[in-house]
Amino acid sequence: MDDAIPSASHTVDEWIHGYEEGEILRGFRCTHCSLITATWGLACPRCGQRTLEEHTLGRTGRVVAFTILNVPGDEFLNDAPYAYVVVELDAGGRITGWMPSVKSVDDLTIHQRVHFVPGYKPGVQFAKDAPPE
Amino acid sequence: MRETWVVGAASNRFGKMKESGREAATRVALAAIEQSGLQAKDLGYTFVSNCFGIAEHQAHVGPLINGGLGIPDVPSCTIESACSSSSAALHEAFVQVAGGFVDAALVVGAEKLSHLDTLAATSYFAIAADYPFETKNGATFPSLYATLANAYQSTYPTKPEMFGAIAVRDHENAAHNPHAHFQKPISMDTYLASPVIASPLRLYDCCPFSDGAAAVVVAAKERIGTPKSEPLVIRASARAGSITEMQDRPDLLGLPATRTAAAKAFRQAHLEPKDIDFVELHDCFTIAEVLALEDLGFFPRGTAAPAALEGVTAHDGKLPVNPSGGLKAKGHPVSATGASQVVEIFEQFNGRAQGREVPKTEVALAHNVGATGGSCSVHIFSRR
Repeated sequence: MDDAIPSASHTVDEWIHGYEEGEILRGFRCTHCSLITATWGLACPRCGQRTLEEHTLGRTGRVVAFTILNVPGDEFLNDAPYAYVVVELDAGGRITGWMPSVKSVDDLTIHQRVHFVPGYKPGVQFAKDAPPE
Repeated sequence: MRETWVVGAASNRFGKMKESGREAATRVALAAIEQSGLQAKDLGYTFVSNCFGIAEHQAHVGPLINGGLGIPDVPSCTIESACSSSSAALHEAFVQVAGGFVDAALVVGAEKLSHLDTLAATSYFAIAADYPFETKNGATFPSLYATLANAYQSTYPTKPEMFGAIAVRDHENAAHNPHAHFQKPISMDTYLASPVIASPLRLYDCCPFSDGAAAVVVAAKERIGTPKSEPLVIRASARAGSITEMQDRPDLLGLPATRTAAAKAFRQAHLEPKDIDFVELHDCFTIAEVLALEDLGFFPRGTAAPAALEGVTAHDGKLPVNPSGGLKAKGHPVSATGASQVVEIFEQFNGRAQGREVPKTEVALAHNVGATGGSCSVHIFSRR
């Protein structure tokens, strides 16, 4: 009977642990429609097919939208202000994350290049790329 | 399907309740039942929303409310759809009545969060986002809508006064609404001077944490006979879903669930946006109103932001929006919000909205969103 229940390679907690350790951004790629998603699931959120395979997401990208939070939730109480960002990854897919090093709207622009960094707490953390030499 | 009417609708004053959500829900439910001309024993089902009841150490509140109404033998079901909980409950009640399963049903939503501090309330709200994939990455609800505002502003030219005009209009309307949390107008200067919560959203772009309760009674036309008040004919009751997580949305310039629910609703009602006289819509943040006006089809993409500034959406404007004061100023007791939108439309249709009357009350639309658009309800009402 258990064979009828779809298996998953990793639990959501394991995905998040991967972020925390800065080791890997786990995601899925749909072999049917090619969507790359950073959200856990068993079927593709775009085409609905059961054709997701685990996929390691890229570590670099650019900001497509952001905000600077001054009033955080309880798990980020001592971290505000910080940026919450939507990042378009160079290797495909989008992921949301936060940037503790960004404290002001003057510190960030849309299209800013960013990279994934190990965090000291759960969540996907990004930092700005160094400006070109 | 049977023609189905809203025959009673009642709300308490939003803000800070001394009593529990359960007590408030029972009281507004009784008021709505009495207004309907029915008796509690006529109800075939009750649909209850109390999203954050757990903050009051209470789940399964429906049977408790039914017990308080003297109808413990009537079945009850709790409906949770984040901020769209009680409009989802209304949809379920409509399905039951229009489908002929019961002749009348109660919808009641209640929320109490004022015993929590802002941090705890913000954290409770954030649970309705995708916890591991959004909240754990630092998101709060203001920040999620702020990110949508950032995407909008980077695509379409807007200025802060365009968002500010929505807040000013809502407070002006709420000042005439005895159910509203805030009953004091604000100026544009006050708006502009308010602190930034999550850029670009200021304090006055954001709805408050409110306690409150609202209830609606729906019944089959054939069961009612002569209604006590002018009923609302439910011309459409539509629900839609869309991808919850912002990271999986190809487009950050609207909420797909609103577009889908609106298309379904207009199709059901055989109406178009131009047929709507006024709107109660989900403006948990001012940017949410801009996106909703475009997603509902009232404005082309990228053109709704100046509407409030130009007076188009004033209560006496061309398309009155949120004559109640909206979530922004009437308040947003999460599970009561959808039902309270119907209360406002019911009062407008019955000429009981002094000081905020809209010019025409033949057809109205209610739009209620769950979280950042994972769920959406659109209802359209008309006169008999």
